[in-house]
Amino acid sequence: MSLRTKTIEDAHALEGTPVLVGRPDDRALTESLLAPVLEPTRKGFLLLLAALMCGMGFWILSLGTTLFVGIGAWGNNIPVAWAYDITNFVWWIGIGHAGTLISAILLLFQQRWRTSINRFAEAMTLFAVAMAGIYPIIHLGRPWFFWWLIPYPSTNQLWPNFKSALPWDVFAISTYGTVSFLFWYLGLIPDLATLRDAAKDRTRRIVYGIMSFGWRGSARHWQHYRIGYLLLAGLSTPLVVSVHTIVSFDFAISQLPGWHTTIFPPYFVAGAIFSGFAMVITLMIPARRLLGYQHVVTPRHLDNMAKVILATGLMVTYGYVMEHFMAWYSGSGYEAFAFLNRWTGPYAPVWYMQLSCNVLAPQIFWFPWARRNEVVLFVVAILVNVGMWAERFTIIAVSLHRDFLPSSWAMYAPTWVDWGLLLGSIATFGVLFLLFLRFLPAIPVFEVKELRRELEHGGPTSHAEPGAAEVHR
Amino acid sequence: MKAYVLGEFEREEALLEATRELRGRIQGTLDLHSPYPLHGSDEALGLPRSKVPLVALVAGVTGAAGGYLMQWYLSAAAWPLNVGNRPPHSAPAFIPVTFELGILFASLAIFIGLLGGFFGFPRLHHPVFEVEAFRSASIDGLWLSAEVEGKDAEPVAAELRRLGARHVAIVPEAQR
Repeated sequence: MSLRTKTIEDAHALEGTPVLVGRPDDRALTESLLAPVLEPTRKGFLLLLAALMCGMGFWILSLGTTLFVGIGAWGNNIPVAWAYDITNFVWWIGIGHAGTLISAILLLFQQRWRTSINRFAEAMTLFAVAMAGIYPIIHLGRPWFFWWLIPYPSTNQLWPNFKSALPWDVFAISTYGTVSFLFWYLGLIPDLATLRDAAKDRTRRIVYGIMSFGWRGSARHWQHYRIGYLLLAGLSTPLVVSVHTIVSFDFAISQLPGWHTTIFPPYFVAGAIFSGFAMVITLMIPARRLLGYQHVVTPRHLDNMAKVILATGLMVTYGYVMEHFMAWYSGSGYEAFAFLNRWTGPYAPVWYMQLSCNVLAPQIFWFPWARRNEVVLFVVAILVNVGMWAERFTIIAVSLHRDFLPSSWAMYAPTWVDWGLLLGSIATFGVLFLLFLRFLPAIPVFEVKELRRELEHGGPTSHAEPGAAEVHR
Repeated sequence: MKAYVLGEFEREEALLEATRELRGRIQGTLDLHSPYPLHGSDEALGLPRSKVPLVALVAGVTGAAGGYLMQWYLSAAAWPLNVGNRPPHSAPAFIPVTFELGILFASLAIFIGLLGGFFGFPRLHHPVFEVEAFRSASIDGLWLSAEVEGKDAEPVAAELRRLGARHVAIVPEAQR
């Protein structure tokens, strides 16, 4: 064994598995990454799509019922005026945040492992925000007047109340949705041009040609493109923090025990990243196998994502501890009762589910073998998704059902419409995601080529990156 | 009449070397086409600094200032409404919307500015697309293009061949 091979092996031991397996040339890389888009449709895809479309039908039925019957079709009551709807809203928005984190914040930190998963995560963001945006609108009661929230000069001569958290939400969510879309689409343009040029049939050439706006890979364009992309990343970073902060203000600026706390903004943002990374893992583990992306989404990516889940899981745990500490330290009997009620009240099972999924389950990621085992990763990711949904339910419905006056206490039970809006939205999200995987490049092709180039030449900021380079040497 | 001279290079270094050499010598606009951004292409083409950050800054400040003014005007001037006895002009409550609008305007300006302004898109047809081999420019090809006067096209094509380019082609602009 030569000294050189030995050094590379040592680097493997130190750095872990590579972010890109092998060093395929640009054409082979393009072909392997675009294969899921350019190959004929698979039967399994159609079956899965049909199954999810059934779930989407359930969702549309539930939405229709809500529109025709009204909010009375839900289990909501007074005092539990916010229940599954707002829980689902916060849950989906939180899931979306990991996409922006991966694509923007990790770009600014020059984390190479983000390159292959960022497009995937951004698409997840878009669809999650689309799902989330539905709930506050249908919860308005008369959703056909939702545009009254937009400040426009109407004959009513009434304006939104900018001192309320609801218009803040409108601006935050619509800005977030728009900026996520722009960032995602800007990243797609060079790859759409690649699709246009790699496609063999006329229809695809025309459609992808129009979608790419006529991109010709010009160096004069790349110069502005790189700076514009970096700036969008820089703008998305504070945006993502602000969006979940504003979502947490919906609760924190009220006076309800369990909501009225200053730790909410950072605690919500950590929870958002926690649940979002869990969703990326949930989607990525099957996708990388089915679509043959194992050479660009390696165990290294999964390992890193598991570490982020562990870290944010600990932050969320800190949030739980602090909430309880403040409930005791504030000396307010109502606060103390609200938190005692979580442990012993009628919804205690949800609280125990939340603790075991969010606090206990991620602890397995202290062990390196667990971070590399796809089954463990997948199961824990699902548990975290469930746990984060339970957390939002605990914060929202469990805080509401026992408020200040015992005479107004009530229980909440979801109806089939509530379940339809939750489960159906998951199926609809799945439909959108499957269509994305079928028609658009889920791995950013040009960025992976750039990454390959950097790994080979050792870019300006590179340290020794292990890889299969020895094969070619 | 203008014409485009195109040539493909095997290696990044050769492409950038050829660009540096041609830039001083020919009358016309040089451009490079590659599937991913090339390190050193700005310097080789002698491009000035990008104005994208300036556009983003102006739009972001406009959005934030406009957002704050809008809230002040609607809440404190046009129709002051007493909600919970808070002051009509309450600056802390106006921060979220101000911030979001700043980000929204800056992002829209970057996106629209890049595509419509800096790139001149949509431009679905461009003379470089006349060359079938140019399809590789978004896959694995490294291309150099020169927009020159029609009579200069042949000498530039000869230069490109001498510098090691393959698939050298001349596209007269009239062809579009």
